[in-house]
Amino acid sequence: MAITRRDLLHKMTTGGAAVAAGGAVSTVALAGIAHAEEEGKLPPQAVGMLYDATRCIGCKTCVVACTQANGLTPDTRRDPLHQAPADLNNRTKTIIKLYKPVDGKEEFSYVKQQCMHCIDPACAAACMFGGLKKDVKTGIVSWNGKLCVGCRYCEIACPYNVPKFRWEGFNPEIVKCEFCKDRLAKGLEPACTAVCPKKAVIFGPRQQLLDEAKRRIADNPGKYYQERVFGEHEAGGTQVLYLSHVPFDKIGLPTLGDESIPHKYLKWQKRLYSYLIVPVGLYAALVGTIRKNWKSHEEHMQHEEKTTGLRAQL
Amino acid sequence: MSQTWQRDVPVFNVPIWTRPFKLFCGLGALGLLLVVYREIVGLGPASGMNDAYAWGIWKTFNTMVLTGLGSGAFAIGIAAWLFRREKLHVVMRTAILTSFLAYAFGLAMLGVDVGRPWNFYWFFFPWHWNLHSPLLEVAVCMTVYASLPLFLENIPAVLEYFYDQRKDLRPTIEKLEKVIVKGFPWVVSLAYVLPAMHQSSLGALMLLGGTRVSPLWQTPFLPLLYVWAAAFLGFAFVTATLLFSGVIWNRPLDLDVLAELNSITTWLIGVWLVFRLVDLTVRGQIVAAFHADLNAFLFWLEIAFLVYAVWILRDAGSRRSPRAMFYGAALATIGGMLYRFDPTTTAFQPKPGAIYFPSVIELLISIGFMSIGIAIFIFAAKVLAILPAPSALWHTMEEYKSRQARVRPFGYKTGAGQYATGD
Repeated sequence: MAITRRDLLHKMTTGGAAVAAGGAVSTVALAGIAHAEEEGKLPPQAVGMLYDATRCIGCKTCVVACTQANGLTPDTRRDPLHQAPADLNNRTKTIIKLYKPVDGKEEFSYVKQQCMHCIDPACAAACMFGGLKKDVKTGIVSWNGKLCVGCRYCEIACPYNVPKFRWEGFNPEIVKCEFCKDRLAKGLEPACTAVCPKKAVIFGPRQQLLDEAKRRIADNPGKYYQERVFGEHEAGGTQVLYLSHVPFDKIGLPTLGDESIPHKYLKWQKRLYSYLIVPVGLYAALVGTIRKNWKSHEEHMQHEEKTTGLRAQL
Repeated sequence: MSQTWQRDVPVFNVPIWTRPFKLFCGLGALGLLLVVYREIVGLGPASGMNDAYAWGIWKTFNTMVLTGLGSGAFAIGIAAWLFRREKLHVVMRTAILTSFLAYAFGLAMLGVDVGRPWNFYWFFFPWHWNLHSPLLEVAVCMTVYASLPLFLENIPAVLEYFYDQRKDLRPTIEKLEKVIVKGFPWVVSLAYVLPAMHQSSLGALMLLGGTRVSPLWQTPFLPLLYVWAAAFLGFAFVTATLLFSGVIWNRPLDLDVLAELNSITTWLIGVWLVFRLVDLTVRGQIVAAFHADLNAFLFWLEIAFLVYAVWILRDAGSRRSPRAMFYGAALATIGGMLYRFDPTTTAFQPKPGAIYFPSVIELLISIGFMSIGIAIFIFAAKVLAILPAPSALWHTMEEYKSRQARVRPFGYKTGAGQYATGD
């Protein structure tokens, strides 16, 4: 950034409102450009998870381990005896669901849900002050309560319905999988991958996991749905990858196309606001025209004042 | 009887503390009380919102729809100042005040709706802004718009009141007015750039909803359609407000000005409808309008309201019927509101089976904030010169002596009791 905070503060205190506004505008424009350059690229040390639905036995050990590792209260709101949440929620960062068709077909599948840690996350694009942010090194999308205003735009934007809100109390939070980043810092792997008895979900660098997934597909022709990895390209790619023997949309993985959500839906928005050229140009043109029109209006008002004897109204 | 609107005159012959006014104040007070409850117990117990429908009517109606109604200052202002529709200057104060109230309370509702409002202080640290977030664009741009240009545009009417009430303040006020007049072109220009930005960004909000928003509404042109809808909503709502105030306070109507407002409204709606239908057809999503579902029904309802509004308004213009003008403007307002509300709620399907219906508390808070806005408008219309009238009414008012003495004579005389009559 060409303008530092110190410069900006200096301008704000010494240069008056106009300069301050100009400084703010250019800072924002520069920040915006820096942001545009970074997005959509896989971070160098991107961590990942690979979930293989054919290996999962639905034991939910990962769900319990996640609750413990993240210090969450087990969600017994639906059933006082069991930790049995219906979906991801403010006490559940990961969940095992079951897909079983009612028409009597043999095929069924478990599926594990948690944050996908998108390469270009829609939640972070929606976030006003960066309360949800993608780590530039590991690519983990995590929540910062100091920056979150609780607007819940992330919940609207996430195509996987992942971020959840604590609806009770005056001090709500956004709850989502943060890849057990505290455990990673200690050199441990995420709780869910550490406890999985069938290694249905495994942890590692994303590239390595993608290679592993492709190896499994190559080794087992016909086993995996469409012989492809969900998350390699979906919505710009995700750091959590899925292999499945049933169609992806059956286990709650939507059909999204390869373009990332922010790029697909906000590119024109970004172009219109880049460098703030369009708004500033528009403003300049308007000032020019309105100042000209203003003069004739002023003459008109003075004439009115003379003829009616009443003060002109603006 | 059509008369010429020449200047804005307070509603001076009625008491302020009337029964409807008390009702609006009461509803407002109840709303504010419930806001305290909401802040203590949190959003869950106070509202019908859930993790699927994370946004309720506070945001989708009070902020996203009602600021559309508050676009009169933007739309009529552009017609008056940019396209030099001189006739429309006389209704600008009505437009500016309704817009200010819609924005002020839309922003207040946004403050009630967010869960961690104390973190809004990052607003003052622009390097923390994510400028690509449509919601940030909306929040920042709306706050700046409502607190600077829109606020300043409302100042002259207040200054005028003090000019007439306090003789000792006159020199100060005249000085202030000179400053305002000098800066006015710069301020009003900003008052057109900013709404163009945030009204389109309001449309961009649901872009990120992606395919979970019905294709009847989801289009890359959503921002353009939103800002265009704001334009005709602004016109229609101000027209309806003028007519309604004219009827309840028995004020003379200027059918020429109203007809001009209506004809611009019809053109704006016409172009908008054509664009909307062409966009749907080109994207190949028009078929979704013929499914037997709620979305298709609401789509046709919206189209029907707007087409009927255009038809009535054109007819009203030729018949010069204030009643038809009011119905037309009201229908256009409802149709436009439907368009802006649907993609956020009924046409937004985040998860199969998820439902949202506002809770009673949620509705009462929403109604409460609207009531405060209406109460302030009523109060302001009676104290300040907001609503347009013939100049003759100003002279009547000066001679009017109210028993409550709440409204005092305004204006000043040029000679010894001599008024030029104007025309």
